Amino acid sequence: MTALVVGHFTSDLVNSLEDNGEFALTIEEFPSHETYQFKGRYLSHRPVQAPDLEVVDRIRARFVQAVRQIYVDAPDYILNAYIQPAVLAVEFEVREIFLQTPGPGAGSRLVPRVEPS
Amino acid sequence: MKSATLPDEIRPVLENGIPAVMVTCSAEGIPNVTVISQVYYVDEHHAALSFQFFSKTIQNVRENPYAYVCVSDLVNRREWILQLIFQRSETEGPTFDAMDMQIEAIASATGMSGIFKLRGADIYRVLSVEDFTYGNPMPGA
Repeated sequence: MTALVVGHFTSDLVNSLEDNGEFALTIEEFPSHETYQFKGRYLSHRPVQAPDLEVVDRIRARFVQAVRQIYVDAPDYILNAYIQPAVLAVEFEVREIFLQTPGPGAGSRLVPRVEPS
Repeated sequence: MKSATLPDEIRPVLENGIPAVMVTCSAEGIPNVTVISQVYYVDEHHAALSFQFFSKTIQNVRENPYAYVCVSDLVNRREWILQLIFQRSETEGPTFDAMDMQIEAIASATGMSGIFKLRGADIYRVLSVEDFTYGNPMPGA
Protein backbone atom coordinates (compact mmCIF):
# COMPACT_ATOMS: atom_id res chain seq x y z
CA MET A 1 0.00 0.00 0.00
CA THR A 2 1.20 3.53 -0.68
CA ALA A 3 0.41 6.42 1.67
CA LEU A 4 0.66 9.95 0.26
CA VAL A 5 1.77 12.30 3.02
CA VAL A 6 1.48 16.10 3.19
CA GLY A 7 4.54 18.22 3.93
CA HIS A 8 4.03 19.20 7.53
CA PHE A 9 3.74 15.57 8.68
CA THR A 10 7.02 14.48 7.13
CA SER A 11 9.62 16.12 9.41
CA ASP A 12 10.27 13.13 11.71
CA LEU A 13 8.40 10.51 9.73
CA VAL A 14 11.24 8.95 7.77
CA ASN A 15 13.56 8.88 10.79
CA SER A 16 10.86 7.13 12.82
CA LEU A 17 10.13 4.64 10.06
CA GLU A 18 13.79 3.85 9.63
CA ASP A 19 14.06 3.46 13.40
CA ASN A 20 11.41 0.82 14.03
CA GLY A 21 9.58 0.33 10.70
CA GLU A 22 6.09 0.32 12.21
CA PHE A 23 3.40 2.16 10.25
CA ALA A 24 -0.32 2.79 10.83
CA LEU A 25 -2.79 4.41 8.46
CA THR A 26 -6.46 5.17 9.11
CA ILE A 27 -9.01 6.03 6.43
CA GLU A 28 -12.53 7.28 7.03
CA GLU A 29 -15.46 7.78 4.70
CA PHE A 30 -17.73 10.77 5.29
CA PRO A 31 -20.51 11.08 6.19
CA SER A 32 -20.95 7.36 6.89
CA HIS A 33 -17.95 7.24 9.31
CA GLU A 34 -16.95 3.87 7.84
CA THR A 35 -13.36 3.61 9.04
CA TYR A 36 -10.47 1.17 8.69
CA GLN A 37 -6.95 1.10 10.08
CA PHE A 38 -4.06 -0.56 8.26
CA LYS A 39 -0.95 -1.55 10.18
CA GLY A 40 2.23 -2.86 8.70
CA ARG A 41 5.92 -2.57 8.01
CA TYR A 42 7.62 0.30 6.23
CA LEU A 43 9.25 -0.66 2.93
CA SER A 44 10.42 2.55 1.27
CA HIS A 45 9.69 6.19 0.60
CA ARG A 46 10.05 8.51 -2.39
CA PRO A 47 8.97 11.98 -3.53
CA VAL A 48 5.50 12.02 -5.03
CA GLN A 49 5.16 11.84 -8.81
CA ALA A 50 2.54 13.17 -11.22
CA PRO A 51 0.33 10.03 -11.03
CA ASP A 52 0.30 10.34 -7.21
CA LEU A 53 -0.92 13.92 -7.45
CA GLU A 54 -3.69 12.80 -9.82
CA VAL A 55 -4.78 10.33 -7.12
CA VAL A 56 -4.83 13.17 -4.56
CA ASP A 57 -6.93 15.26 -6.94
CA ARG A 58 -9.47 12.43 -7.29
CA ILE A 59 -9.59 11.93 -3.51
CA ARG A 60 -10.08 15.67 -3.02
CA ALA A 61 -13.00 15.75 -5.46
CA ARG A 62 -14.62 12.76 -3.75
CA PHE A 63 -14.06 14.30 -0.29
CA VAL A 64 -15.61 17.62 -1.29
CA GLN A 65 -18.63 15.85 -2.76
CA ALA A 66 -19.08 13.86 0.46
CA VAL A 67 -18.68 16.69 2.98
CA ARG A 68 -20.80 19.05 0.90
CA GLN A 69 -23.81 17.23 2.42
CA ILE A 70 -22.73 18.52 5.86
CA TYR A 71 -21.11 21.85 4.97
CA VAL A 72 -23.79 22.96 2.54
CA ASP A 73 -22.74 26.62 2.45
CA ALA A 74 -18.95 26.23 2.70
CA PRO A 75 -17.06 27.76 -0.23
CA ASP A 76 -15.36 25.29 -2.54
CA TYR A 77 -11.90 26.71 -1.88
CA ILE A 78 -12.18 25.90 1.83
CA LEU A 79 -13.27 22.31 1.28
CA ASN A 80 -10.73 21.80 -1.51
CA ALA A 81 -7.90 23.12 0.65
CA TYR A 82 -8.54 20.48 3.31
CA ILE A 83 -7.05 17.74 1.10
CA GLN A 84 -3.57 19.12 0.73
CA PRO A 85 -1.01 18.26 -1.96
CA ALA A 86 1.16 15.34 -0.91
CA VAL A 87 4.97 15.55 -1.02
CA LEU A 88 6.04 12.08 0.10
CA ALA A 89 4.92 8.58 -0.86
CA VAL A 90 5.48 5.90 1.79
CA GLU A 91 5.16 2.29 0.77
CA PHE A 92 4.40 -0.28 3.42
CA GLU A 93 3.44 -3.92 3.65
CA VAL A 94 0.04 -4.34 5.28
CA ARG A 95 0.14 -6.84 8.14
CA GLU A 96 -3.24 -6.21 9.79
CA ILE A 97 -6.51 -4.44 9.01
CA PHE A 98 -8.85 -3.29 11.78
CA LEU A 99 -12.43 -2.07 11.67
CA GLN A 100 -12.71 1.38 13.29
CA THR A 101 -16.20 2.42 12.31
CA PRO A 102 -17.78 3.87 15.47
CA GLY A 103 -19.86 1.22 17.18
CA PRO A 104 -19.56 -2.03 19.08
CA GLY A 105 -17.26 -3.64 16.48
CA ALA A 106 -14.71 -0.81 16.56
CA GLY A 107 -11.19 -2.11 17.08
CA SER A 108 -11.89 -5.63 15.86
CA ARG A 109 -9.32 -7.16 13.53
CA LEU A 110 -10.54 -8.06 10.07
CA VAL A 111 -7.25 -9.30 8.56
CA PRO A 112 -5.83 -11.75 9.50
CA ARG A 113 -9.24 -13.03 10.50
CA VAL A 114 -9.63 -13.76 14.19
CA GLU A 115 -10.77 -17.35 14.56
CA PRO A 116 -13.55 -17.86 17.10
CA SER A 117 -12.21 -19.52 20.24
CA MET B 1 7.81 18.25 33.23
CA LYS B 2 7.55 20.09 29.90
CA SER B 3 4.29 21.99 29.61
CA ALA B 4 2.62 24.27 27.05
CA THR B 5 -0.28 26.66 27.02
CA LEU B 6 -3.31 26.24 24.79
CA PRO B 7 -3.78 29.61 23.01
CA ASP B 8 -7.21 31.24 23.08
CA GLU B 9 -7.44 31.01 19.29
CA ILE B 10 -7.56 27.21 19.46
CA ARG B 11 -10.73 27.14 21.55
CA PRO B 12 -13.21 27.64 18.67
CA VAL B 13 -11.28 25.01 16.69
CA LEU B 14 -11.82 22.47 19.48
CA GLU B 15 -15.53 23.25 19.36
CA ASN B 16 -16.04 23.22 15.59
CA GLY B 17 -17.32 19.63 15.45
CA ILE B 18 -14.72 18.48 12.93
CA PRO B 19 -13.31 15.09 13.96
CA ALA B 20 -9.74 15.10 15.26
CA VAL B 21 -7.01 12.54 14.62
CA MET B 22 -5.29 10.93 17.60
CA VAL B 23 -2.03 8.99 17.48
CA THR B 24 -0.72 6.79 20.29
CA CYS B 25 1.99 4.16 20.52
CA SER B 26 2.15 0.92 22.46
CA ALA B 27 5.03 0.14 24.80
CA GLU B 28 6.41 -2.08 22.00
CA GLY B 29 6.43 0.84 19.55
CA ILE B 30 3.38 -0.11 17.47
CA PRO B 31 1.54 3.09 16.43
CA ASN B 32 -2.23 3.45 16.47
CA VAL B 33 -4.17 6.18 14.72
CA THR B 34 -7.84 6.85 15.25
CA VAL B 35 -10.46 9.48 14.52
CA ILE B 36 -12.04 11.03 17.59
CA SER B 37 -15.11 13.19 17.73
CA GLN B 38 -14.15 15.56 20.50
CA VAL B 39 -11.20 17.37 22.09
CA TYR B 40 -12.42 19.32 25.12
CA TYR B 41 -10.69 22.41 26.53
CA VAL B 42 -10.31 21.90 30.30
CA ASP B 43 -7.96 24.78 31.08
CA GLU B 44 -4.95 26.43 29.43
CA HIS B 45 -2.72 23.46 30.25
CA HIS B 46 -5.15 20.54 29.93
CA ALA B 47 -7.40 18.96 27.32
CA ALA B 48 -9.84 16.07 27.71
CA LEU B 49 -10.45 13.40 25.10
CA SER B 50 -13.55 11.30 24.92
CA PHE B 51 -13.12 7.65 25.79
CA GLN B 52 -15.81 5.84 23.79
CA PHE B 53 -14.86 2.63 22.01
CA PHE B 54 -11.25 2.90 20.90
CA SER B 55 -9.84 0.27 23.19
CA LYS B 56 -6.40 0.13 21.59
CA THR B 57 -5.94 3.85 22.21
CA ILE B 58 -7.02 3.46 25.81
CA GLN B 59 -4.69 0.48 26.26
CA ASN B 60 -1.79 2.37 24.66
CA VAL B 61 -2.03 5.54 26.74
CA ARG B 62 -2.16 3.51 29.91
CA GLU B 63 1.12 1.77 29.05
CA ASN B 64 2.73 4.70 27.17
CA PRO B 65 1.05 7.98 28.20
CA TYR B 66 2.18 10.13 25.26
CA ALA B 67 -0.25 11.05 22.48
CA TYR B 68 -0.54 13.41 19.53
CA VAL B 69 -3.79 15.01 18.46
CA CYS B 70 -4.39 16.94 15.25
CA VAL B 71 -7.37 19.30 15.09
CA SER B 72 -8.48 21.09 11.95
CA ASP B 73 -9.59 24.66 11.44
CA LEU B 74 -11.32 24.27 8.11
CA VAL B 75 -12.29 27.92 7.71
CA ASN B 76 -8.78 29.29 8.29
CA ARG B 77 -7.06 26.31 6.60
CA ARG B 78 -4.99 25.65 9.68
CA GLU B 79 -4.09 22.47 11.54
CA TRP B 80 -3.02 22.28 15.15
CA ILE B 81 -0.92 19.46 16.52
CA LEU B 82 -0.94 18.92 20.27
CA GLN B 83 1.49 16.68 22.10
CA LEU B 84 -0.21 15.37 25.22
CA ILE B 85 0.48 13.18 28.21
CA PHE B 86 -2.29 11.17 29.85
CA GLN B 87 -2.98 12.01 33.48
CA ARG B 88 -6.27 10.43 34.60
CA SER B 89 -9.75 9.37 33.51
CA GLU B 90 -12.90 10.92 34.96
CA THR B 91 -16.32 9.25 34.85
CA GLU B 92 -18.24 12.01 36.60
CA GLY B 93 -18.00 15.70 37.38
CA PRO B 94 -18.31 18.91 35.36
CA THR B 95 -15.84 17.98 32.59
CA PHE B 96 -17.48 14.59 32.06
CA ASP B 97 -20.98 16.09 32.08
CA ALA B 98 -20.06 18.85 29.62
CA MET B 99 -18.37 16.38 27.26
CA ASP B 100 -21.31 14.00 27.50
CA MET B 101 -23.71 16.77 26.47
CA GLN B 102 -21.43 17.93 23.64
CA ILE B 103 -20.93 14.42 22.30
CA GLU B 104 -24.65 13.80 22.16
CA ALA B 105 -25.01 16.99 20.13
CA ILE B 106 -22.26 15.83 17.75
CA ALA B 107 -23.86 12.39 17.48
CA SER B 108 -27.23 13.91 16.72
CA ALA B 109 -25.76 16.21 14.05
CA THR B 110 -23.88 13.38 12.34
CA GLY B 111 -26.55 10.68 12.50
CA MET B 112 -24.73 8.69 15.18
CA SER B 113 -27.18 9.05 18.07
CA GLY B 114 -27.15 5.97 20.28
CA ILE B 115 -23.72 4.92 18.94
CA PHE B 116 -21.48 7.64 20.39
CA LYS B 117 -21.41 7.02 24.12
CA LEU B 118 -19.02 8.65 26.55
CA ARG B 119 -17.44 6.17 28.95
CA GLY B 120 -14.83 8.50 30.37
CA ALA B 121 -13.24 11.91 30.04
CA ASP B 122 -9.52 11.27 29.74
CA ILE B 123 -7.54 14.24 31.03
CA TYR B 124 -4.22 15.09 29.36
CA ARG B 125 -1.59 17.71 30.10
CA VAL B 126 -0.51 19.69 27.01
CA LEU B 127 3.23 19.27 26.32
CA SER B 128 3.50 21.21 23.06
CA VAL B 129 1.37 23.07 20.53
CA GLU B 130 2.26 23.49 16.83
CA ASP B 131 0.18 24.92 14.02
CA PHE B 132 0.42 24.87 10.24
CA THR B 133 -1.44 26.91 7.67
CA TYR B 134 -2.15 25.14 4.41
CA GLY B 135 -3.80 25.75 1.07
CA ASN B 136 -4.08 28.78 -1.13
CA PRO B 137 -5.13 32.11 0.32
CA MET B 138 -8.77 33.08 0.15
CA PRO B 139 -9.69 34.35 -3.33
CA GLY B 140 -9.34 38.13 -3.43
CA ALA B 141 -7.33 38.27 -0.19
